[in-house]
This record gives sequence, structure tokens and C-alpha cells, in this order.
Amino acid sequence: MRVCDLMDREVLVCRLEDSVKDVVRIMKVNGFAPVVAVDETGEVWGFISRLAVIRFYGEDLERIRAEDAMRPYKFEVDPQWPIEKAIALMKKTRFEHLIIIDPHAGPKRPIGILSSFQIVWYMSQIERGRYAQVLRMLAAWTPSGS
Amino acid sequence: MEEIVRRLMRTGSITCSASDSVRKVAQILAVNSTHYCVVTNQSHEVLGIISARSILRAFGKDLDKTTAQDILLPHTFTITPNSTLREAIRLMDRRKIEHLIVTSDREGSKAVVGLLHIEDIIAKMAQEEQRTA
Repeated sequence: MRVCDLMDREVLVCRLEDSVKDVVRIMKVNGFAPVVAVDETGEVWGFISRLAVIRFYGEDLERIRAEDAMRPYKFEVDPQWPIEKAIALMKKTRFEHLIIIDPHAGPKRPIGILSSFQIVWYMSQIERGRYAQVLRMLAAWTPSGS
Repeated sequence: MEEIVRRLMRTGSITCSASDSVRKVAQILAVNSTHYCVVTNQSHEVLGIISARSILRAFGKDLDKTTAQDILLPHTFTITPNSTLREAIRLMDRRKIEHLIVTSDREGSKAVVGLLHIEDIIAKMAQEEQRTA
């Protein structure tokens, strides 16, 4: 299994100069997923997690820039990496999301996100989209604690 | 007025048993599209919480033999319904956790009354920003 087989190809981005108010809006509209901060060329600079955003609760979000909320992101994760290599990096760095970079573009252009939740899917051994299998599995389960 | 946890917490939750394998917990999270699961014992008492990150850390172990009990985050980091949202956020930030178990604030009681989710805090922030715009 390679990173590109599991990654989410929809990457939420904001510009470095955007406000945290913009970031909150982007998260809310897109299912509360984390956001990648890019510069004017589209190159990855940092990553804004949900925990990074709530730290600013009660503050004037319009005055805080995305650049001030992001955690700098310096890794270059190739979509062809084996999934085990990506998991090892997540465990080592405690990043719950890895930004996957286009290996063919010059600057670090994001082409996907690999999250701990996608790794959970992989570890669950459920094939994504195989709802029949999921329903069979649910039918076989007994409720917890019973 | 300072926002309190009671107004944002949810009362239902996805649970698993302490004796469930990590593979089964991963399946519970995947099927329910949720990033966490509350772990209970046979008497349905809450022992802790398992997040997607906890499962990720178990990668490399035998997932059918490792149990929820082995990887759960203990029921230590809790908040009460009347705590302020700021207190909850400080605890989440300090412990790097996105979900908090809310316990009763009656003296001596450890009953779980709900869960506070990071999504609901972000939704609240977005709502407040919209109102002030």
C-alpha cells in the first residue's frame, strides 16, 4: 500500500496573509478539516490544526494571520512512499496529518493529505466504499458490554 | 457572559469495550466516521477514550491481540459542565486532545454526562464571528 492509495486528494488551503477568521470559516464549511497554509506561488509553508485554531478562542480572529497560527511544515512526503514509512513519520513527529507533495513540481505543491483517520481505515482492514462488507460486519457484531 | 461547557457538550457517544481488540476499535471508528471512541468496562463505567492517534501509535503491534485497555487515554482529563470553555480549551491544548469527557460536578460523583468536541468549539467560533460581522 502506498501513500497515494490512501491519501485524501482534497487539500484545504489558505494564504499566509489570510486571517484566522478565514481559516475558521474554511474549516467549518469543509467538515472541520485542518488547513494548509501556502504562499502566493502555492508552495506549502505550514499546517494549521484544529487545536491551533481554538487557542485563539475569544480573541479578535480578524487581526491574527494564518502565518501566526500555523506550525511550519518542513517534510517532503512523496505519494509513492510505502504507507509504513508515512506512519513511522507520523509517530515520530506527532503530526496527525501529513501533507503530500507533488514530486514533479519545483516548489512544494500540496496534492493530498494523509490523516491518522485514513490510517485507522487502513488498520481496520475495511475496504473503503465496500458498504456491503461494512453492513455484514455490523450484523455480526454484538453490542459492546453485552 | 463567559461560555460554559454545558452549552456545547454532546450527550451521546460511540463506545467500545475495554476488552475489544484494537482492530475492532479501528473498525468502530471507521464505520462511524468518528475520530474517537469512549472505552467502558463491563459495568458500563467509562475508563477512558481512544482517538485515531492512539490507534496510529499501535501500528506494528498485533492488532487482534492488543486491546482497547492497552492503548486508551485514561479517564483523567475531564471537565465539568459548569467549567468555562476557556478552561476546557486550555486543557485540550495542554494535553493535545480534541475531545474531553465531561463529568458531573456533584461532589463525589464521577458520572459521565457528556463529551466536548473540538468541532463544536470551532463551530461556535465561526458563529460568533458571523454575529459580530
